[in-house]
Amino acid sequence: MTPELKFESPSFGKRIKGMLGVDFYRLFHTPLFYIFLVIAAIIPAMVSAMTMMPDASGNTMEPLYSNVWQIIASSKSLYVIESIADYANMNMVFIFGGIMVSIFIGHDYKSGYVKQLFTTHAKKQDYMISKSVVCAFAIICMCLTYFIGGTVGGLLVGYDTTVNVGSLVLAILGKMVMSFGWASLYTFLNVIFRKYFGISIASSFFFGTGILIIGAAAIVESLSLPTFFLNIFLYGSSVNASLSSNIGTLVICIAVSAAWSIIYNLLGTRILTKSDVY
Amino acid sequence: MNAVEIKNLSKNFGAKQAVCGLDMTVPMGAIYGFIGENGSGKSTTEKMICGLIPTSGGSIKLYGRDYTDGDVRAKVGVLIESPGCFPGLTVWENMMLQARNLRIPDAEKEVIKVLKTVRMEGAAGNKYKNCSLGMKQRVGIAMALLGEPTLLVLDEPLNGLDADGMRIMREVFLDIVKDGKRSIIVSSHLLGELQKVATHYGIIRHGKMIVEMSAAELDASCRTFVALRSDEINRTKMLLGCKYSRVEEDEAGYIRVYDITTPEEVVRYLWENGISVTELGIDKIGLEEYYIDLMNGGKR
Repeated sequence: MTPELKFESPSFGKRIKGMLGVDFYRLFHTPLFYIFLVIAAIIPAMVSAMTMMPDASGNTMEPLYSNVWQIIASSKSLYVIESIADYANMNMVFIFGGIMVSIFIGHDYKSGYVKQLFTTHAKKQDYMISKSVVCAFAIICMCLTYFIGGTVGGLLVGYDTTVNVGSLVLAILGKMVMSFGWASLYTFLNVIFRKYFGISIASSFFFGTGILIIGAAAIVESLSLPTFFLNIFLYGSSVNASLSSNIGTLVICIAVSAAWSIIYNLLGTRILTKSDVY
Repeated sequence: MNAVEIKNLSKNFGAKQAVCGLDMTVPMGAIYGFIGENGSGKSTTEKMICGLIPTSGGSIKLYGRDYTDGDVRAKVGVLIESPGCFPGLTVWENMMLQARNLRIPDAEKEVIKVLKTVRMEGAAGNKYKNCSLGMKQRVGIAMALLGEPTLLVLDEPLNGLDADGMRIMREVFLDIVKDGKRSIIVSSHLLGELQKVATHYGIIRHGKMIVEMSAAELDASCRTFVALRSDEINRTKMLLGCKYSRVEEDEAGYIRVYDITTPEEVVRYLWENGISVTELGIDKIGLEEYYIDLMNGGKR
Protein backbone atom coordinates (compact mmCIF):
# COMPACT_ATOMS: atom_id res chain seq x y z
CA MET A 1 0.00 0.00 0.00
CA THR A 2 1.28 3.48 -0.81
CA PRO A 3 1.94 5.47 2.37
CA GLU A 4 -0.18 8.60 2.71
CA LEU A 5 1.67 11.87 2.15
CA LYS A 6 0.57 15.36 3.10
CA PHE A 7 1.91 18.55 1.57
CA GLU A 8 1.16 21.90 3.16
CA SER A 9 1.34 25.41 1.75
CA PRO A 10 2.91 27.86 4.18
CA SER A 11 1.64 31.43 3.85
CA PHE A 12 3.86 34.27 2.66
CA GLY A 13 3.90 35.66 6.21
CA LYS A 14 5.15 32.40 7.69
CA ARG A 15 7.77 31.97 5.00
CA ILE A 16 9.17 35.46 5.25
CA LYS A 17 9.13 35.37 9.06
CA GLY A 18 11.30 32.24 9.07
CA MET A 19 13.72 33.63 6.55
CA LEU A 20 14.00 37.04 8.20
CA GLY A 21 14.69 35.31 11.50
CA VAL A 22 17.57 33.40 9.94
CA ASP A 23 19.00 36.42 8.15
CA PHE A 24 18.86 38.63 11.24
CA TYR A 25 20.45 35.87 13.31
CA ARG A 26 23.24 35.63 10.76
CA LEU A 27 23.67 39.39 10.63
CA PHE A 28 24.05 39.66 14.38
CA HIS A 29 26.50 36.75 14.42
CA THR A 30 28.63 38.17 11.61
CA PRO A 31 31.69 40.05 12.94
CA LEU A 32 31.78 41.97 9.66
CA PHE A 33 28.58 43.76 10.58
CA TYR A 34 30.13 45.20 13.73
CA ILE A 35 33.35 46.04 11.91
CA PHE A 36 31.37 48.07 9.38
CA LEU A 37 29.43 49.81 12.16
CA VAL A 38 32.74 50.92 13.63
CA ILE A 39 34.07 51.97 10.22
CA ALA A 40 30.91 54.01 9.65
CA ALA A 41 31.53 55.81 12.96
CA ILE A 42 35.26 56.33 12.54
CA ILE A 43 35.29 57.68 8.98
CA PRO A 44 33.26 60.88 9.64
CA ALA A 45 35.14 61.48 12.89
CA MET A 46 38.43 61.15 11.01
CA VAL A 47 37.28 63.41 8.18
CA SER A 48 36.27 66.08 10.73
CA ALA A 49 39.52 65.82 12.64
CA MET A 50 41.75 65.76 9.57
CA THR A 51 40.26 68.91 8.14
CA MET A 52 41.47 70.79 11.20
CA MET A 53 44.96 69.30 11.29
CA PRO A 54 47.94 71.55 10.49
CA ASP A 55 49.72 70.94 7.18
CA ALA A 56 53.49 70.43 6.72
CA SER A 57 54.23 74.14 7.11
CA GLY A 58 52.33 74.27 10.38
CA ASN A 59 49.35 76.17 9.02
CA THR A 60 45.90 74.86 9.74
CA MET A 61 44.13 73.73 6.58
CA GLU A 62 41.01 75.48 5.53
CA PRO A 63 38.14 73.54 7.16
CA LEU A 64 36.00 71.50 4.80
CA TYR A 65 32.88 72.30 6.74
CA SER A 66 31.54 75.36 8.48
CA ASN A 67 28.96 73.41 10.44
CA VAL A 68 29.06 70.10 12.31
CA TRP A 69 25.93 68.85 10.52
CA GLN A 70 27.41 69.25 7.08
CA ILE A 71 29.21 65.99 7.63
CA ILE A 72 25.79 64.38 8.01
CA ALA A 73 24.18 65.99 4.97
CA SER A 74 25.15 68.72 2.53
CA SER A 75 23.62 72.16 2.95
CA LYS A 76 21.62 71.82 -0.24
CA SER A 77 20.97 69.23 -2.94
CA LEU A 78 24.24 68.92 -4.82
CA TYR A 79 23.77 66.24 -7.45
CA VAL A 80 27.20 66.75 -8.93
CA ILE A 81 29.83 67.48 -6.32
CA GLU A 82 31.95 70.58 -6.39
CA SER A 83 34.33 69.67 -3.58
CA ILE A 84 35.14 66.63 -1.50
CA ALA A 85 33.12 68.15 1.35
CA ASP A 86 29.96 67.82 -0.74
CA TYR A 87 30.70 64.16 -1.10
CA ALA A 88 31.85 63.30 2.41
CA ASN A 89 28.53 62.97 4.19
CA MET A 90 26.16 60.22 5.23
CA ASN A 91 25.87 59.07 1.60
CA MET A 92 29.25 57.40 2.15
CA VAL A 93 27.38 54.84 4.25
CA PHE A 94 25.84 53.52 1.05
CA ILE A 95 29.34 52.61 -0.17
CA PHE A 96 30.26 50.79 3.06
CA GLY A 97 26.84 49.22 3.04
CA GLY A 98 27.31 47.96 -0.51
CA ILE A 99 30.55 46.22 0.38
CA MET A 100 29.05 44.70 3.52
CA VAL A 101 25.97 43.48 1.68
CA SER A 102 28.14 41.91 -1.03
CA ILE A 103 30.18 39.97 1.49
CA PHE A 104 27.08 39.01 3.48
CA ILE A 105 25.19 37.69 0.44
CA GLY A 106 28.36 36.29 -1.12
CA HIS A 107 28.65 33.93 1.85
CA ASP A 108 25.20 32.54 1.04
CA TYR A 109 26.57 31.28 -2.24
CA LYS A 110 30.07 30.38 -1.07
CA SER A 111 28.73 28.21 1.76
CA GLY A 112 26.06 26.57 -0.38
CA TYR A 113 23.32 27.91 1.91
CA VAL A 114 21.19 29.00 -1.04
CA LYS A 115 21.09 25.43 -2.28
CA GLN A 116 19.39 24.35 0.90
CA LEU A 117 17.12 27.35 0.72
CA PHE A 118 15.93 27.09 -2.85
CA THR A 119 15.78 23.33 -2.98
CA THR A 120 13.43 22.89 -0.12
CA HIS A 121 10.93 25.62 0.28
CA ALA A 122 12.05 29.16 -0.33
CA LYS A 123 10.61 31.20 -3.12
CA LYS A 124 13.08 33.41 -4.91
CA GLN A 125 10.91 36.42 -4.17
CA ASP A 126 11.13 35.66 -0.42
CA TYR A 127 14.90 35.52 -0.67
CA MET A 128 15.10 38.92 -2.39
CA ILE A 129 12.75 40.53 0.11
CA SER A 130 14.44 39.06 3.16
CA LYS A 131 17.92 40.03 2.03
CA SER A 132 16.80 43.55 1.07
CA VAL A 133 15.14 44.11 4.45
CA VAL A 134 18.03 42.76 6.51
CA CYS A 135 20.65 44.60 4.49
CA ALA A 136 18.59 47.81 4.69
CA PHE A 137 18.54 47.36 8.45
CA ALA A 138 22.34 46.96 8.46
CA ILE A 139 22.75 50.16 6.41
CA ILE A 140 20.36 52.03 8.73
CA CYS A 141 22.47 50.90 11.70
CA MET A 142 25.52 52.26 9.88
CA CYS A 143 23.69 55.56 9.36
CA LEU A 144 23.21 55.74 13.14
CA THR A 145 26.85 55.02 13.96
CA TYR A 146 27.88 57.45 11.23
CA PHE A 147 25.68 60.08 12.85
CA ILE A 148 27.27 59.45 16.25
CA GLY A 149 30.83 59.44 14.85
CA GLY A 150 30.25 62.52 12.71
CA THR A 151 28.60 64.48 15.52
CA VAL A 152 31.24 63.61 18.10
CA GLY A 153 34.05 64.35 15.62
CA GLY A 154 32.50 67.67 14.59
CA LEU A 155 31.92 68.75 18.18
CA LEU A 156 35.46 67.81 19.20
CA VAL A 157 37.00 69.98 16.50
CA GLY A 158 34.66 72.82 17.42
CA TYR A 159 32.44 73.29 14.40
CA ASP A 160 29.38 75.50 14.67
CA THR A 161 26.27 73.56 15.73
CA THR A 162 23.56 75.86 14.42
CA VAL A 163 20.99 73.88 12.45
CA ASN A 164 17.33 73.64 11.53
CA VAL A 165 16.60 70.54 13.62
CA GLY A 166 13.55 69.59 11.58
CA SER A 167 15.51 69.61 8.32
CA LEU A 168 18.36 67.67 9.92
CA VAL A 169 15.97 64.99 11.21
CA LEU A 170 14.21 64.81 7.83
CA ALA A 171 17.56 64.51 6.04
CA ILE A 172 18.66 61.66 8.29
CA LEU A 173 15.28 59.93 7.99
CA GLY A 174 15.40 60.42 4.22
CA LYS A 175 18.80 58.75 3.98
CA MET A 176 17.63 55.93 6.22
CA VAL A 177 14.59 55.40 4.03
CA MET A 178 16.86 55.34 0.99
CA SER A 179 18.69 52.40 2.58
CA PHE A 180 15.88 50.09 1.39
CA GLY A 181 16.42 51.12 -2.22
CA TRP A 182 20.19 50.78 -1.93
CA ALA A 183 19.95 47.42 -0.19
CA SER A 184 17.65 46.16 -2.95
CA LEU A 185 20.12 47.37 -5.58
CA TYR A 186 23.01 45.61 -3.86
CA THR A 187 20.99 42.42 -3.42
CA PHE A 188 20.12 42.56 -7.11
CA LEU A 189 23.77 43.12 -8.10
CA ASN A 190 24.82 40.19 -5.95
CA VAL A 191 22.23 37.98 -7.57
CA ILE A 192 23.58 38.92 -11.00
CA PHE A 193 27.21 38.37 -10.01
CA ARG A 194 26.51 35.52 -7.58
CA LYS A 195 29.20 33.34 -9.10
CA TYR A 196 31.82 36.09 -9.05
CA PHE A 197 32.40 37.29 -5.52
CA GLY A 198 35.00 39.94 -6.43
CA ILE A 199 32.90 41.44 -9.20
CA SER A 200 29.86 41.67 -6.94
CA ILE A 201 31.87 43.68 -4.39
CA ALA A 202 33.37 45.90 -7.10
CA SER A 203 29.98 46.54 -8.69
CA SER A 204 28.41 47.43 -5.35
CA PHE A 205 31.25 49.84 -4.68
CA PHE A 206 30.93 51.34 -8.15
CA PHE A 207 27.18 51.93 -7.91
CA GLY A 208 27.46 53.04 -4.28
CA THR A 209 29.75 55.90 -5.20
CA GLY A 210 26.88 57.37 -7.19
CA ILE A 211 29.27 58.17 -10.00
CA LEU A 212 26.59 57.44 -12.61
CA ILE A 213 24.69 60.52 -11.45
CA ILE A 214 27.18 62.56 -13.48
CA GLY A 215 25.90 60.93 -16.66
CA ALA A 216 22.30 61.32 -15.55
CA ALA A 217 22.92 64.99 -14.75
CA ALA A 218 24.38 65.53 -18.21
CA ILE A 219 21.29 63.95 -19.80
CA VAL A 220 18.94 66.05 -17.66
CA GLU A 221 20.90 69.15 -18.58
CA SER A 222 20.91 68.32 -22.30
CA LEU A 223 17.13 67.85 -22.20
CA SER A 224 16.79 71.18 -20.37
CA LEU A 225 14.96 69.45 -17.54
CA PRO A 226 15.13 70.80 -14.00
CA THR A 227 17.63 69.00 -11.75
CA PHE A 228 14.65 67.87 -9.70
CA PHE A 229 14.34 64.98 -12.21
CA LEU A 230 17.57 63.54 -10.84
CA ASN A 231 15.60 62.62 -7.74
CA ILE A 232 14.19 59.64 -9.57
CA PHE A 233 17.57 57.93 -9.06
CA LEU A 234 18.66 56.42 -5.78
CA TYR A 235 21.69 58.66 -5.53
CA GLY A 236 19.70 61.73 -6.54
CA SER A 237 17.15 61.26 -3.79
CA SER A 238 19.89 60.42 -1.31
CA VAL A 239 21.62 63.72 -2.12
CA ASN A 240 18.31 65.53 -2.07
CA ALA A 241 17.96 64.63 1.62
CA SER A 242 20.01 67.65 2.66
CA LEU A 243 20.04 70.19 5.49
CA SER A 244 17.40 72.13 3.59
CA SER A 245 14.99 69.17 3.51
CA ASN A 246 11.30 69.47 4.13
CA ILE A 247 8.53 66.93 4.46
CA GLY A 248 8.27 66.78 0.66
CA THR A 249 11.88 65.59 0.53
CA LEU A 250 11.05 62.70 2.82
CA VAL A 251 7.99 61.80 0.76
CA ILE A 252 10.17 61.73 -2.39
CA CYS A 253 12.71 59.53 -0.62
CA ILE A 254 9.96 57.11 0.44
CA ALA A 255 8.46 56.98 -3.06
CA VAL A 256 11.79 56.61 -4.88
CA SER A 257 13.17 54.07 -2.43
CA ALA A 258 9.97 52.00 -2.57
CA ALA A 259 9.83 52.14 -6.37
CA TRP A 260 13.45 51.04 -6.85
CA SER A 261 13.09 48.38 -4.15
CA ILE A 262 10.15 46.86 -6.01
CA ILE A 263 11.92 47.09 -9.37
CA TYR A 264 15.14 45.49 -8.13
CA ASN A 265 13.26 42.81 -6.21
CA LEU A 266 11.21 41.89 -9.25
CA LEU A 267 14.27 41.82 -11.50
CA GLY A 268 16.26 39.77 -8.98
CA THR A 269 13.41 37.30 -8.57
CA ARG A 270 13.12 36.92 -12.33
CA ILE A 271 16.84 36.31 -12.76
CA LEU A 272 16.88 33.72 -9.98
CA THR A 273 13.87 31.97 -11.47
CA LYS A 274 15.08 31.92 -15.05
CA SER A 275 18.74 31.08 -14.57
CA ASP A 276 20.86 28.61 -12.66
CA VAL A 277 20.69 29.45 -9.01
CA TYR A 278 23.89 27.70 -8.17
CA MET B 1 2.73 6.61 -6.96
CA ASN B 2 6.44 7.08 -7.59
CA ALA B 3 8.62 9.49 -5.66
CA VAL B 4 10.22 10.79 -8.85
CA GLU B 5 9.11 10.42 -12.45
CA ILE B 6 11.22 12.06 -15.11
CA LYS B 7 10.29 12.00 -18.77
CA ASN B 8 12.45 13.11 -21.66
CA LEU B 9 14.48 15.52 -19.52
CA SER B 10 17.10 17.64 -21.21
CA LYS B 11 19.52 20.36 -20.25
CA ASN B 12 21.75 22.40 -22.50
CA PHE B 13 24.56 24.66 -21.42
CA GLY B 14 25.01 26.73 -24.55
CA ALA B 15 25.85 24.29 -27.33
CA LYS B 16 26.73 21.52 -24.88
CA GLN B 17 23.97 19.03 -24.14
CA ALA B 18 24.52 17.83 -20.57
CA VAL B 19 21.33 15.77 -20.32
CA CYS B 20 19.34 14.57 -23.31
CA GLY B 21 16.05 12.70 -23.25
CA LEU B 22 16.55 11.21 -19.81
CA ASP B 23 13.80 9.05 -18.30
CA MET B 24 14.01 8.07 -14.65
CA THR B 25 11.65 6.51 -12.11
CA VAL B 26 12.34 6.37 -8.40
CA PRO B 27 9.75 4.30 -6.51
CA MET B 28 8.65 5.31 -3.02
CA GLY B 29 10.75 3.79 -0.30
CA ALA B 30 13.66 3.15 -2.68
CA ILE B 31 17.33 3.82 -2.23
CA TYR B 32 18.12 4.71 -5.81
CA GLY B 33 21.76 4.36 -6.74
CA PHE B 34 22.45 6.91 -9.46
CA ILE B 35 25.61 5.89 -11.26
CA GLY B 36 27.65 7.32 -14.08
CA GLU B 37 31.08 8.53 -15.11
CA ASN B 38 32.30 12.02 -14.26
CA GLY B 39 30.51 14.47 -16.52
CA SER B 40 27.78 11.99 -17.44
CA GLY B 41 25.03 14.34 -16.21
CA LYS B 42 24.32 12.97 -12.73
CA SER B 43 24.80 16.20 -10.81
CA THR B 44 23.02 18.21 -13.49
CA THR B 45 20.02 15.88 -13.26
CA GLU B 46 20.04 16.08 -9.47
CA LYS B 47 20.24 19.86 -9.56
CA MET B 48 17.26 19.96 -11.93
CA ILE B 49 15.26 17.69 -9.62
CA CYS B 50 16.10 20.07 -6.77
CA GLY B 51 15.13 23.15 -8.78
CA LEU B 52 18.61 24.65 -8.65
CA ILE B 53 18.89 24.85 -12.41
CA PRO B 54 16.02 25.16 -14.87
CA THR B 55 15.38 22.37 -17.35
CA SER B 56 15.71 22.83 -21.11
CA GLY B 57 12.91 20.33 -21.80
CA GLY B 58 10.97 17.37 -20.48
CA SER B 59 9.08 16.94 -17.23
CA ILE B 60 9.91 16.16 -13.63
CA LYS B 61 7.19 14.98 -11.27
CA LEU B 62 7.69 14.55 -7.55
CA TYR B 63 4.97 12.48 -5.93
CA GLY B 64 2.79 13.06 -8.96
CA ARG B 65 3.12 16.85 -8.84
CA ASP B 66 5.19 19.16 -11.00
CA TYR B 67 8.60 19.67 -9.40
CA THR B 68 8.13 23.45 -9.28
CA ASP B 69 5.19 23.06 -6.87
CA GLY B 70 6.31 24.81 -3.68
CA ASP B 71 4.42 22.43 -1.40
CA VAL B 72 6.11 19.32 -2.72
CA ARG B 73 9.48 21.07 -2.77
CA ALA B 74 9.20 21.55 0.98
CA LYS B 75 9.51 17.80 1.27
CA VAL B 76 12.80 17.50 -0.59
CA GLY B 77 16.06 17.30 1.35
CA VAL B 78 19.31 17.80 -0.47
CA LEU B 79 23.02 17.33 -0.10
CA ILE B 80 24.72 18.43 -3.31
CA GLU B 81 28.44 19.15 -3.24
CA SER B 82 28.42 20.80 0.20
CA PRO B 83 25.92 20.92 3.06
CA GLY B 84 25.36 24.69 2.95
CA CYS B 85 26.62 25.43 6.45
CA PHE B 86 28.26 28.60 7.68
CA PRO B 87 31.80 27.68 8.77
CA GLY B 88 31.94 30.11 11.71
CA LEU B 89 28.76 28.77 13.32
CA THR B 90 28.47 25.57 15.31
CA VAL B 91 26.76 22.47 13.99
CA TRP B 92 23.87 23.20 16.33
CA GLU B 93 23.51 26.81 15.15
CA ASN B 94 23.59 25.76 11.52
CA MET B 95 20.96 23.14 12.14
CA MET B 96 18.76 25.58 14.03
CA LEU B 97 19.00 28.13 11.20
CA GLN B 98 17.80 25.55 8.73
CA ALA B 99 15.07 24.42 11.12
CA ARG B 100 13.90 28.02 11.41
CA ASN B 101 13.94 28.41 7.65
CA LEU B 102 11.74 25.34 7.42
CA ARG B 103 9.40 26.71 10.11
CA ILE B 104 9.68 23.55 12.18
CA PRO B 105 7.51 24.13 15.27
CA ASP B 106 9.58 22.22 17.83
CA ALA B 107 12.93 22.96 16.22
CA GLU B 108 15.22 21.92 19.07
CA LYS B 109 13.58 18.53 19.43
CA GLU B 110 13.74 17.95 15.67
CA VAL B 111 17.41 18.97 15.47
CA ILE B 112 18.31 16.60 18.32
CA LYS B 113 16.40 13.83 16.55
CA VAL B 114 18.17 14.21 13.21
CA LEU B 115 21.58 14.62 14.85
CA LYS B 116 20.95 11.33 16.62
CA THR B 117 19.94 9.73 13.34
CA VAL B 118 23.32 10.60 11.82
CA ARG B 119 25.19 9.77 15.06
CA MET B 120 26.29 13.39 15.53
CA GLU B 121 24.58 14.31 18.79
CA GLY B 122 27.93 14.47 20.58
CA ALA B 123 29.42 16.98 18.14
CA ALA B 124 26.61 19.56 18.06
CA GLY B 125 28.74 22.18 19.82
CA ASN B 126 31.64 21.89 17.35
CA LYS B 127 32.19 24.72 14.94
CA TYR B 128 31.35 23.47 11.47
CA LYS B 129 34.76 24.49 10.12
CA ASN B 130 36.44 22.23 12.71
CA CYS B 131 34.47 19.13 11.72
CA SER B 132 36.16 16.31 9.81
CA LEU B 133 35.03 15.52 6.27
CA GLY B 134 33.00 12.55 7.48
CA MET B 135 31.31 14.68 10.13
CA LYS B 136 30.55 17.36 7.56
CA GLN B 137 28.93 14.78 5.31
CA ARG B 138 26.77 13.58 8.19
CA VAL B 139 25.84 17.16 9.12
CA GLY B 140 24.83 17.62 5.49
CA ILE B 141 22.56 14.61 5.67
CA ALA B 142 21.16 15.81 8.99
CA MET B 143 20.37 19.18 7.36
CA ALA B 144 18.68 17.37 4.50
CA LEU B 145 16.63 15.34 6.98
CA LEU B 146 15.17 18.37 8.76
CA GLY B 147 11.48 18.88 8.18
CA GLU B 148 10.86 15.17 7.56
CA PRO B 149 11.48 15.21 3.80
CA THR B 150 10.02 12.42 1.75
CA LEU B 151 12.73 12.61 -0.90
CA LEU B 152 16.45 12.96 -0.26
CA VAL B 153 18.85 13.82 -3.05
CA LEU B 154 22.41 13.06 -1.99
CA ASP B 155 25.30 13.73 -4.33
CA GLU B 156 28.40 11.70 -3.49
CA PRO B 157 27.68 11.48 0.25
CA LEU B 158 30.17 8.63 0.69
CA ASN B 159 33.18 10.55 -0.59
CA GLY B 160 36.03 10.82 1.86
CA LEU B 161 34.48 8.60 4.50
CA ASP B 162 36.52 6.02 6.41
CA ALA B 163 35.28 2.45 6.85
CA ASP B 164 33.37 3.30 10.01
CA GLY B 165 31.90 6.39 8.40
CA MET B 166 30.66 4.27 5.48
CA ARG B 167 29.07 1.80 7.85
CA ILE B 168 27.31 4.59 9.75
CA MET B 169 26.12 6.10 6.49
CA ARG B 170 24.70 2.76 5.34
CA GLU B 171 22.85 2.40 8.62
CA VAL B 172 21.53 5.94 8.25
CA PHE B 173 20.21 5.24 4.74
CA LEU B 174 18.45 2.09 5.87
CA ASP B 175 16.98 3.93 8.89
CA ILE B 176 15.61 6.66 6.63
CA VAL B 177 13.71 4.39 4.26
CA LYS B 178 12.57 1.77 6.75
CA ASP B 179 9.01 3.15 7.01
CA GLY B 180 8.61 3.05 3.23
CA LYS B 181 7.59 6.73 3.04
CA ARG B 182 10.92 8.22 2.13
CA SER B 183 13.08 7.68 -0.91
CA ILE B 184 16.72 8.46 -1.44
CA ILE B 185 18.54 9.25 -4.66
CA VAL B 186 22.21 8.71 -3.98
CA SER B 187 24.96 9.14 -6.50
CA SER B 188 28.35 7.63 -5.80
CA HIS B 189 31.41 6.23 -7.49
CA LEU B 190 31.86 3.77 -4.61
CA LEU B 191 29.78 1.08 -6.24
CA GLY B 192 30.68 -1.64 -3.77
CA GLU B 193 29.30 0.47 -0.93
CA LEU B 194 26.27 1.49 -2.93
CA GLN B 195 25.42 -2.13 -3.70
CA LYS B 196 25.14 -2.85 0.02
CA VAL B 197 22.14 -0.53 0.40
CA ALA B 198 20.61 0.35 -2.96
CA THR B 199 17.26 -1.14 -3.91
CA HIS B 200 17.22 0.37 -7.40
CA TYR B 201 19.81 1.59 -9.87
CA GLY B 202 19.97 4.04 -12.69
CA ILE B 203 23.05 4.16 -14.90
CA ILE B 204 23.55 7.31 -16.91
CA ARG B 205 25.97 7.93 -19.74
CA HIS B 206 26.42 11.00 -21.92
CA GLY B 207 23.26 12.47 -20.39
CA LYS B 208 21.08 9.44 -21.19
CA MET B 209 19.77 6.74 -18.90
CA ILE B 210 21.17 3.52 -20.30
CA VAL B 211 19.91 1.08 -17.69
CA GLU B 212 17.37 1.37 -14.90
CA MET B 213 16.59 -1.65 -12.75
CA SER B 214 15.93 -2.97 -9.28
CA ALA B 215 18.57 -4.67 -7.14
CA ALA B 216 16.83 -8.00 -7.82
CA GLU B 217 17.04 -7.42 -11.55
CA LEU B 218 20.71 -6.53 -11.24
CA ASP B 219 21.30 -9.70 -9.29
CA ALA B 220 19.57 -11.75 -11.96
CA SER B 221 21.53 -10.16 -14.77
CA CYS B 222 24.93 -10.39 -13.13
CA ARG B 223 27.09 -13.12 -14.59
CA THR B 224 28.14 -16.05 -12.44
CA PHE B 225 31.68 -17.37 -12.42
CA VAL B 226 33.79 -20.12 -10.93
CA ALA B 227 36.88 -18.83 -9.14
CA LEU B 228 39.78 -21.18 -8.57
CA ARG B 229 43.43 -21.43 -7.73
CA SER B 230 45.85 -24.07 -8.82
CA ASP B 231 49.56 -24.77 -8.49
CA GLU B 232 50.14 -23.94 -12.19
CA ILE B 233 48.44 -20.67 -12.86
CA ASN B 234 49.68 -19.98 -16.37
CA ARG B 235 49.00 -23.48 -17.69
CA THR B 236 45.61 -23.48 -16.01
CA LYS B 237 44.72 -20.20 -17.72
CA MET B 238 45.87 -21.51 -21.04
CA LEU B 239 43.92 -24.74 -20.75
CA LEU B 240 40.74 -23.06 -19.55
CA GLY B 241 41.09 -20.40 -22.22
CA CYS B 242 40.98 -23.14 -24.88
CA LYS B 243 37.72 -24.56 -23.55
CA TYR B 244 35.75 -21.60 -22.14
CA SER B 245 34.89 -18.30 -23.78
CA ARG B 246 35.86 -16.00 -20.93
CA VAL B 247 38.68 -16.72 -18.52
CA GLU B 248 40.42 -14.02 -16.48
CA GLU B 249 42.78 -13.68 -13.58
CA ASP B 250 41.57 -11.24 -10.91
CA GLU B 251 43.59 -8.95 -8.64
CA ALA B 252 43.65 -11.54 -5.86
CA GLY B 253 45.23 -14.15 -8.12
CA TYR B 254 42.12 -16.26 -8.68
CA ILE B 255 41.28 -17.54 -12.13
CA ARG B 256 37.69 -16.77 -13.05
CA VAL B 257 35.75 -18.86 -15.53
CA TYR B 258 32.56 -17.02 -16.44
CA ASP B 259 29.07 -18.18 -17.27
CA ILE B 260 29.28 -21.69 -15.87
CA THR B 261 27.50 -22.93 -12.79
CA THR B 262 29.04 -26.40 -12.45
CA PRO B 263 32.51 -26.20 -10.91
CA GLU B 264 32.83 -30.00 -11.01
CA GLU B 265 33.13 -29.83 -14.79
CA VAL B 266 36.07 -27.42 -14.55
CA VAL B 267 37.81 -29.42 -11.83
CA ARG B 268 37.43 -32.64 -13.82
CA TYR B 269 38.78 -31.04 -16.96
CA LEU B 270 41.85 -29.68 -15.14
CA TRP B 271 42.37 -33.00 -13.33
CA GLU B 272 42.35 -34.85 -16.64
CA ASN B 273 45.08 -32.47 -17.80
CA GLY B 274 47.20 -33.09 -14.72
CA ILE B 275 46.38 -29.91 -12.76
CA SER B 276 45.23 -29.94 -9.14
CA VAL B 277 42.78 -27.26 -8.01
CA THR B 278 43.76 -25.91 -4.57
CA GLU B 279 40.84 -23.51 -3.98
CA LEU B 280 37.42 -23.37 -5.59
CA GLY B 281 34.31 -21.20 -5.28
CA ILE B 282 31.32 -19.96 -7.21
CA ASP B 283 30.26 -16.31 -7.21
CA LYS B 284 28.55 -13.53 -9.15
CA ILE B 285 30.05 -10.31 -10.45
CA GLY B 286 29.15 -7.23 -8.37
CA LEU B 287 27.70 -3.89 -9.36
CA GLU B 288 31.13 -2.51 -10.05
CA GLU B 289 32.01 -5.20 -12.55
CA TYR B 290 28.56 -5.09 -14.07
CA TYR B 291 28.97 -1.35 -14.52
CA ILE B 292 32.44 -1.66 -16.05
CA ASP B 293 31.13 -4.37 -18.38
CA LEU B 294 28.26 -2.14 -19.38
CA MET B 295 30.51 0.85 -20.00
CA ASN B 296 32.76 -1.34 -22.16
CA GLY B 297 29.85 -2.62 -24.16
CA GLY B 298 29.95 -6.04 -22.48
CA LYS B 299 33.65 -6.54 -23.22
CA ARG B 300 36.45 -6.23 -20.74
